[in-house]
Amino acid sequence: MTLVLSLAVAVLFGSGSYLLLQRDLVRVVGGVVLISSAATLFVMSASLTKGTAPILPLPNGQPVSDPLVQAMALTAIVITFGVSALLLALVYRVYVSHLSLDLEDLAAAEEQAEAVDEAMGGRLERAPMTAEERDEWAMR
Amino acid sequence: MGDALTLMAPIAIFWAGGIGVAAIDGWRGMTARGALVVHLAGFGALALLAARVLTSGPVGMIAGNWPAGVGIRFRADPLGIAFALLSSLVLIVAVAYEAIGGTPTRAFPALSLFLAAGLTGLFLTADAFNFYVFFELSMISAYVLTAFGGQPRQLRAAVIFAVVNLLGSVIFLLGIVALYHVTGSLDMTDIAQRMAFAEQNPAILSGTLLFVAFGVKLGLFPFHFWLPAVYTGVRPSIAAILSGALTNIGTYGLLRFGGEMLPRELSLAAPALALLGTASILYGAVQAIGRAAPDEVVAYSAIGQVGYVMIALAIGGAAGYGAAILFAIINALNKTLLFLAIDLRGAFVGPAVAIGALSVAGAPPAAGFFGKAALFRAGLTVGDGAERAALVALIAAGGALSLLYMFQAFGRRYLEPRAEERPASGRGRRRLVAVVALSLLVFGCWPEPLIALSERAAAVLPGRLP
Repeated sequence: MTLVLSLAVAVLFGSGSYLLLQRDLVRVVGGVVLISSAATLFVMSASLTKGTAPILPLPNGQPVSDPLVQAMALTAIVITFGVSALLLALVYRVYVSHLSLDLEDLAAAEEQAEAVDEAMGGRLERAPMTAEERDEWAMR
Repeated sequence: MGDALTLMAPIAIFWAGGIGVAAIDGWRGMTARGALVVHLAGFGALALLAARVLTSGPVGMIAGNWPAGVGIRFRADPLGIAFALLSSLVLIVAVAYEAIGGTPTRAFPALSLFLAAGLTGLFLTADAFNFYVFFELSMISAYVLTAFGGQPRQLRAAVIFAVVNLLGSVIFLLGIVALYHVTGSLDMTDIAQRMAFAEQNPAILSGTLLFVAFGVKLGLFPFHFWLPAVYTGVRPSIAAILSGALTNIGTYGLLRFGGEMLPRELSLAAPALALLGTASILYGAVQAIGRAAPDEVVAYSAIGQVGYVMIALAIGGAAGYGAAILFAIINALNKTLLFLAIDLRGAFVGPAVAIGALSVAGAPPAAGFFGKAALFRAGLTVGDGAERAALVALIAAGGALSLLYMFQAFGRRYLEPRAEERPASGRGRRRLVAVVALSLLVFGCWPEPLIALSERAAAVLPGRLP
């Protein structure tokens, strides 16, 4: 059982890392999700006891599974779910503003911005948004 | 009951305030000012708690009146309270900066409060898994805050920041679970007691995982790769929050998990810490010297300054931990001042940046001098003469390099004629920056409160192992 679990964690983590190193941002998010799942599985495998479900009334004389790791895994799943949704939203905003999800394009845009920075001797202090700009921003 | 109330009040104020502010339209200036009031109220509650902790000892409680060992425990000791006060202060300055300028986005005021709730909870919890939950809470707020402004550059910074720090969080979770598997407990005090009898290999493994996680958070060399793009891409107030408030998670985490729970492993890792710290100091300084844009100089300098904290941790013992805490506090204030001031123009701003630059370089009369002085003193307590000499030489060389790059950037920004091209910034922001700079000067002339606080905080941790 230990071997199967560790293999599953390893495969999940490995595929997650592979996706994380891709150029496409959606794949990067997929990689993050896979790595988080590997972590959840690892949490489950760190359980101290194994046995029947830890639900009252407990069976007499039989071992019970460790309920604490299950609670931890559940919390981790919820957090991962929220963060993945947030990441996807961020990626969508990047797509809307760059019209690309390729990391090479983003890196090129970053270099351009840095070149402007160097030329201006620092980032510009941005003027406060006007009311129309705010509305437009909120509409997006 | 009184204990429970004073302990939970700051978290509750930030949390409830965040929910309340989230319901109001964040575009209005009123909302940002309201959030500022809640921040001040939370800081007041923290100060009350701090007064109680410092006069009559640590305060603790167990959530939901569960018996000890079952329920989630909270506790306020000088170490946690010092970092909670510092983070809250930095957030107040950053929120005031945005409230004065009148450019908050809809989500900024509420998110800053959720971030404060997460950070306060993290510094006051005594449960390792609860630490992870609060850690995630503050990180999620920070991911959204990095995108604040919504311009392409900030979105890119937010994606980098979120992906890298999510990986850090996963590694941190693995470390905590490994600790649980070895000790069978999640309570920090229990873990610390049982770790002393645990086998060394699993302990080293979980220690390494935790160190990598906090290293990512700190932007320590070689985990710094995300830091420059993020710090230069985001708005100044967010850069100040990231480097002044979120970095504290890394320092506090290393002190709490390393110094309190894994002291044996920390002293075992001391040579590695010293090596990484040295690499960080030199790398940050060399990169900063080679940069032209002032915000990049400050970003690389942040990588370098973290190295000093590592050196202090490697020294260990009451002197080393005290120096680490004092240096972290002063460094957070320096970075807040510099990130906020570097983009402004007009009266007060030049002198404020000069004070920040002096403080980073560790020159009197700025507060940074006492951070470096504490490091020197801690360096003189280590073993043999050669080590001592190497440490002192490193700190001196690092200080000289930072003096060089800070004033290179300062000269380029304020002494060249081009500096006059742009109009002066708003008066409110300039005043705010001047107040922060002035407080650094005051702490430079009267450092006793900070030194006393850091010594009390370091006294929480076990001393150096034989």
